[in-house]
Amino acid sequence: MNGKGNGAPAKFSRKAVVAEGRAQGLDIGWTVFSYLIAGMLAYGAIGWLIGRAVRVALLFPIGMLIGLAISIGFIIYRYGKQGAVDAASPEGDDR
Amino acid sequence: MTGDVQVVAAPGGGCHIRSGCGYPSPGLDSFNFRPLFTIGSFQFTKPMLIAVICVIIVIAFFWAAFAKPKLVPRGVQNLGEIGILAVRDQILRPSLGKRGDSYLPFLVALFFYIWVMNLMELIPLFQFPAMSRIGFVWPLVFLVYFLYLYVGFKNQGFPGYIKNMIPWDVPKFVLIILIPIELLRFFVVQPFTLGVRLFANMFAGHLLLLIFTLATWYLATVSVSLLFAAGSFVMVIFVTLLELLIDLLQAFIFTTLTAVYIASSLEAAH
Repeated sequence: MNGKGNGAPAKFSRKAVVAEGRAQGLDIGWTVFSYLIAGMLAYGAIGWLIGRAVRVALLFPIGMLIGLAISIGFIIYRYGKQGAVDAASPEGDDR
Repeated sequence: MTGDVQVVAAPGGGCHIRSGCGYPSPGLDSFNFRPLFTIGSFQFTKPMLIAVICVIIVIAFFWAAFAKPKLVPRGVQNLGEIGILAVRDQILRPSLGKRGDSYLPFLVALFFYIWVMNLMELIPLFQFPAMSRIGFVWPLVFLVYFLYLYVGFKNQGFPGYIKNMIPWDVPKFVLIILIPIELLRFFVVQPFTLGVRLFANMFAGHLLLLIFTLATWYLATVSVSLLFAAGSFVMVIFVTLLELLIDLLQAFIFTTLTAVYIASSLEAAH
């Protein structure tokens, strides 16, 4: 975090490193949660709209499940690998 | 209405386990208050009074601390500096680094306002967290939401900001599938969870406190149920201590995520 060259004391203080880790953990945790909700909402809405057009009510829950599956897949792709957290921010910025 | 529930449960009400009136279980009504006064169609309620008092407390505290700052801090100024440095080192710097120091006044105000508002649930006479009424949370969320959108558009430009939300590192066919999720997550779910998290924690905490406090009184008859009343009282103490921690934690999480969102607007996260 503390982008390169911004002069933050973080890199030299243990407390600052812990604080950075905490902020990063909060960010990733809630981002993952947001992906899960957003996946279900987005594809649930698409499923509901298609289901309404073709009069198949089942497309709504199917859409939600597909959205959830896409979200889980993307979360594993992005955060599942070891060291993926650092890789997710190419400039070494750990936001 | 809290007022009503407390009246029923008060000693005068005599609503004990053997009095036949049943356990006055708290619910949604416990979060509605009769207006303290009315001006036209505007009703001024207890949560509004608490919000105003909290604003005064935060302003008065920092005014007292920094109206006449000394080079060597003493008394309230010392306390104020500790508070500001805590927000800077634990919330702002880890997310934004030194470039974000201009947001320090905003984050300090946000953190202390939420913290004091939350703490009101434990202070006698007030005993209500105004943040458990979601109407008090949304203005803060909108403030943060429009701030980080503004910062994003200003720093990255409108097309750049939208472009940077999309994870370009995934295969093209996956990208089409991901775009609706990314946009929905950023524009809807992110601010929604920011607000609901604070509201739900305060709502649940206040409800738990009410349940055990009322149960302690309800069970306190001169019989074997005194034991249950004592058990419930222990839970009151436990939940109070827990809430003391959660009040601080929720203010911390809200402010930290605000800093994180501002940071992602300052430069591309992907």
